[in-house]
Amino acid sequence: MQKIPDRNFDALVKPTKLHRSLYTDPDIFELEMSRIWGQAWIYIGHESQVPNAGDYFTTNINHAVPVVMIRDKDDSVRVLHNRCGHKGAKVVDKQSGNVRGALRCAYHGWSYRFDGSLLKIPNEHGYQDTGFDASEPCYSMQPLAQVSSYRGFVFATLSDTIPDLVTWMGGAITCFDNLCDRAPEGEVEVAGGVLRYEHDCNWKFILENLNDTMHPMVVHESVVKAAESYIATLPPEAAKQRREAEIIPPFGASYENFENTGITGFDYGHHYDGGKTSIHADYSVDPDYHEAMVAAYGETRTREIYAFNTHNVLYYPSLTIKCAVQNIRVIRPISVDRFVVESWSFRLKGAPDSMLQRTVLYSRLINSAMGMVGPDDLEVYRRTQKGLHSPVNDWVEFHRQYGKDRILPDRIEGGGTSDLDMRTQYRAWKAYMEQSYQRGVDYA
Amino acid sequence: MPELAAIESFLYREASYLDRPDLDSWIELYTEDAYYWIPATENQVDPINHVSHIYDDRVMMEIRRRNFVHPRAASKDSQTRCSHLIGNVQIKGPSSEGGLIVESTQHVVVWYQNEQRVYAFTAQHELRPENGSFKIKSKRVNLINPDAAQRSLIIYL
Repeated sequence: MQKIPDRNFDALVKPTKLHRSLYTDPDIFELEMSRIWGQAWIYIGHESQVPNAGDYFTTNINHAVPVVMIRDKDDSVRVLHNRCGHKGAKVVDKQSGNVRGALRCAYHGWSYRFDGSLLKIPNEHGYQDTGFDASEPCYSMQPLAQVSSYRGFVFATLSDTIPDLVTWMGGAITCFDNLCDRAPEGEVEVAGGVLRYEHDCNWKFILENLNDTMHPMVVHESVVKAAESYIATLPPEAAKQRREAEIIPPFGASYENFENTGITGFDYGHHYDGGKTSIHADYSVDPDYHEAMVAAYGETRTREIYAFNTHNVLYYPSLTIKCAVQNIRVIRPISVDRFVVESWSFRLKGAPDSMLQRTVLYSRLINSAMGMVGPDDLEVYRRTQKGLHSPVNDWVEFHRQYGKDRILPDRIEGGGTSDLDMRTQYRAWKAYMEQSYQRGVDYA
Repeated sequence: MPELAAIESFLYREASYLDRPDLDSWIELYTEDAYYWIPATENQVDPINHVSHIYDDRVMMEIRRRNFVHPRAASKDSQTRCSHLIGNVQIKGPSSEGGLIVESTQHVVVWYQNEQRVYAFTAQHELRPENGSFKIKSKRVNLINPDAAQRSLIIYL
């Protein structure tokens, strides 16, 4: 592959501004794929997607590199490079399914165990006395450099030097705990299907938008107004039964409300808004759910779990989760101006069906490419992608509350309408790109 | 059983409102207890426990209709026009509530953001006879690619 020369990242990322080429330059995109997506822990899938031996789920770990998550016969979940050790064909082509016995390449029939090791080559004697050594790893379906899961969420990385998953997540790990603790049985599982949608803009826009609390009241004003004004015409009893009335209007919350949610940032680019409160904090609590929670945890612990209420949590660069809604979005770049998102929902084990139903409703109302919220977000990213081609100004600014962030030993805290999220992301972006997190293999 | 020609003509009328698009006239073709559904997977049976691209009852249709013309909805700034081509119209039988189930194949070209996008699907209409014509009790749009990554769609198909 083409080797991209090192750049002076100090010249592209300043404390309060970014160079526009970060969004438009295909060479920078390629370098991001090798240095950020090739080093960070990337979310692959959830263990519940592959419950039985031979169950698999395929994805790319960046814009191109195909991988397969598969349940082995010893019940462990593997993540393998989805590439035949022979000619290089992608071995598993379907998105998900089950294989019996062994993985088999469709080209020359090489087969592999679920741990990726080579099982059999047809007509093998032709390799005798050729110097070919079937035990060399390059002839297997090789596992990713590191694979790890936390409470069922499976991550993998192309880097053998990035710190372990728990260290890498740092303080942001509490959000995974909160998501799973919201289940009376302390576990979640994938349910309710997946929505896939495509954005014609740079992948970083969606990450920047997650904790950008200066946009909802502007971008989503129309749907909030349309929903509020129409629901107000319904008889009060009918209006009260509309779960949409809890989900849509908070997107129009005031600057003051959003400021009070706060933003918390961590190393490696992770951050969340909310904690004490968020736009999901005033959802009604299903009495059956509450009863199941209290039976499992007791009243005090249950209240503690509810009280930690975040809006969007980012595990930079591939995953954003909503603990209080049990919905996650998985990001995959395609090219400098295109990426895909998958929105997955989770069932809280031990909770009544109404909880999954709310999650599914949320995903449909807010994330769907055919909804009234997502398309307005996409529209402003799309316009930004276009506008940044203008040479009139090379810079994108993020000064809000600069110098006011509270720097603690393991985290940075700031106002909910600050640009702390941008500062957090681009500190990590620069560290990855400069390879200062590690001096490992350059995957490109 | 109503004549096939009457049903076809009703489907064309619905399509003509969407082509312009004129959601104010379009919504009047639907009953007060109507549903409009675009499932997110093939043979999806459940719109409540499984996510969909769209699953609107009349209330959500009313909200969408208002949002569609709201001056602050950036995604609606781009002019949108559609062209529906309807074929293979078949009466599948009576519905449980005295109406009838009609299936048709539809190809829709949507003009949005200076680009033509193609949607292909089987439409399932549940129609109720009313005043010599019909009202739509439910419409289900079975896209040929429901689980593909979708791009923004701001209009009903």
